Amino acid sequence: MKARNLMIPLQEYLKPDTTLKEAANILRTAKRDEEKLGVKGLPVLDASGKMVGFLSMGDILKAVFPSYMSLMNLGDFTWDGMVEDMAKKARDKKVSEMMTTKVISVNEDAYLMECVDHMIKNNVKRLPVIGKDGRVTGILYERDVFFAITKAMLDENTGGGK
Amino acid sequence: MTHEATAAAQPFVMDTAFWTATTIFLLAYAVIVSEKIHKTIIAIFGAGLMLVLKILEQHEAFHVEEFGVDWNVIFLLISMMVIINLMRPTGVFEYIAIKSAKWGKGDPFRILAIFAIVTAILSAFLDNVTTVLLIVPVTILIAEALEVDPLPYLISCALASNIGGTATLIGDPPNIMIASKAQLDFMDFIYHLSPVIIITMVFYVFAIKLIWGKKLKTKEELKKRIMAMNENEAIKDSVMLKKSLAVLAMVLTGFVFHGMLHYQPATVALFGAGLLLLLSKTHEPHHILADVEWPTIFFFMGLFIIIGGVVKVGLIKWMSVQVLELTQGNLLATSMVVMWFSAFASAFIDNIPYVATMNPLIVDMAKQLWPDLSGIQLLHHADLMPLWWSLALGACLGGNGTAIGASANVIVVGMSEKAGKRISFGKFMLYGMPMMIMTVVIATIYVWLRYYVLKI
Repeated sequence: MKARNLMIPLQEYLKPDTTLKEAANILRTAKRDEEKLGVKGLPVLDASGKMVGFLSMGDILKAVFPSYMSLMNLGDFTWDGMVEDMAKKARDKKVSEMMTTKVISVNEDAYLMECVDHMIKNNVKRLPVIGKDGRVTGILYERDVFFAITKAMLDENTGGGK
Repeated sequence: MTHEATAAAQPFVMDTAFWTATTIFLLAYAVIVSEKIHKTIIAIFGAGLMLVLKILEQHEAFHVEEFGVDWNVIFLLISMMVIINLMRPTGVFEYIAIKSAKWGKGDPFRILAIFAIVTAILSAFLDNVTTVLLIVPVTILIAEALEVDPLPYLISCALASNIGGTATLIGDPPNIMIASKAQLDFMDFIYHLSPVIIITMVFYVFAIKLIWGKKLKTKEELKKRIMAMNENEAIKDSVMLKKSLAVLAMVLTGFVFHGMLHYQPATVALFGAGLLLLLSKTHEPHHILADVEWPTIFFFMGLFIIIGGVVKVGLIKWMSVQVLELTQGNLLATSMVVMWFSAFASAFIDNIPYVATMNPLIVDMAKQLWPDLSGIQLLHHADLMPLWWSLALGACLGGNGTAIGASANVIVVGMSEKAGKRISFGKFMLYGMPMMIMTVVIATIYVWLRYYVLKI
């Protein structure tokens, strides 16, 4: 099994100068598969279609989390509405300010274990899959890897080297 | 004594080395002031240049206190940071800060004033950098809660920490160095510097009332956010808290008696850090050590070496001698010039290497004035004492002048930037410089009145 067999082909992406407000809306309404809506992260592509970053839900959480709060234990001293206020302040930030620029990705032909290796070591749940021309062709989700694993566990005939 | 001898014997010529070192020094400071490149990078690069161009030998930079890194300061800072890093998870600092905010009953100015006083008291006993690291995050949170501009809280925190730090031997690194050079102990500082700092803080609170009092307004419903905070929730680990407070009390006691016991403050702090690490039963000291403010430590180390270079070629001495010549042996005039020159010098250059330069100069001057005296009799000559206090007051209070005048300012500006509230060099100076002048005027009157009029 290779990354290309399990990935969900890329349908939507973000641009670096998109605002977080627009980005959040795209994440919310992007198609996950045939039926479901909403994705937890999307690649950020520049005008030439090259991937320059990845924006996930975690990055949106970080956008509202003030840096000084990471310095001390101030969680007990916050108030109702604080996140909402911060969200309003953060909504005009650009995707490029909050996106992860060191994106962990895999080639289409990467074997599943390489994908698992990246997911475990880098603690990521989504891997952009890069095609032969260097462009993102799809996203490999932890969930789909999990399904592949459960399938292998349940069906003994599914060996490697497909 | 050997250090003074080498300084005095240092031939002073404006040769290639002099101009090379002076150029590195001026360029490094110009870039630091311009904020184009991170100050720590410039400090390390400048230090590297001083060594590569053989202004300083590596041995001098690493092992000679006069020209290189002052490891007493470095280890004191690192050790105190380790102690504080171990104490921080207990929640004691959040407790103190939230309690302070609640004393202010949610009123933005009262909170500003209370934070200034708490900061001053904390930094008299903890290092200034540590103090601002603990106070700043809470002040930003409080400002957010009250929906007021965090700038007054940030700047006031830096200014108050520098004023408070002046009060004791351990409060600010220049005092540590002066104490060791002049063989003064903890109680000397309490007796001579603490009174003037208490007076200064009273004036400081009036000054911030004038500057920010009217601008800081909030709504009643926002005050409730502060009053709803329960400081008891801050305490996360009461067992470790007890251990930490015991070690901290031991360290502070160690500082009080360090002179008597012949220990350097860094020894006391390093022992405290080691003991608390042991008591914490942590299996992973990695993150405790990683949380030391390494960029600050390296900024210090780089600066020590850069300044060491210009001290060695005689630039700083030349500058200071010019000032000393002005006073023509009049000790009152010398005290005043030392205080004001130190204040302005410390506003722009690090007060630690500055004081390291002024210390032997004052000793040399004393030798010329009283050639028959030596040792304690010379260092503690009744007419010389006001000079030490003037140097301490000028160098410590002068740190408030600019954003790079004191390490606490550097930290506050750095933390504010991370929090998205950038304080430019000019913006800091707009508040810092007048405050520096006000506090040094108070110190001037104090020194004049106490040592030259009342003679007590």
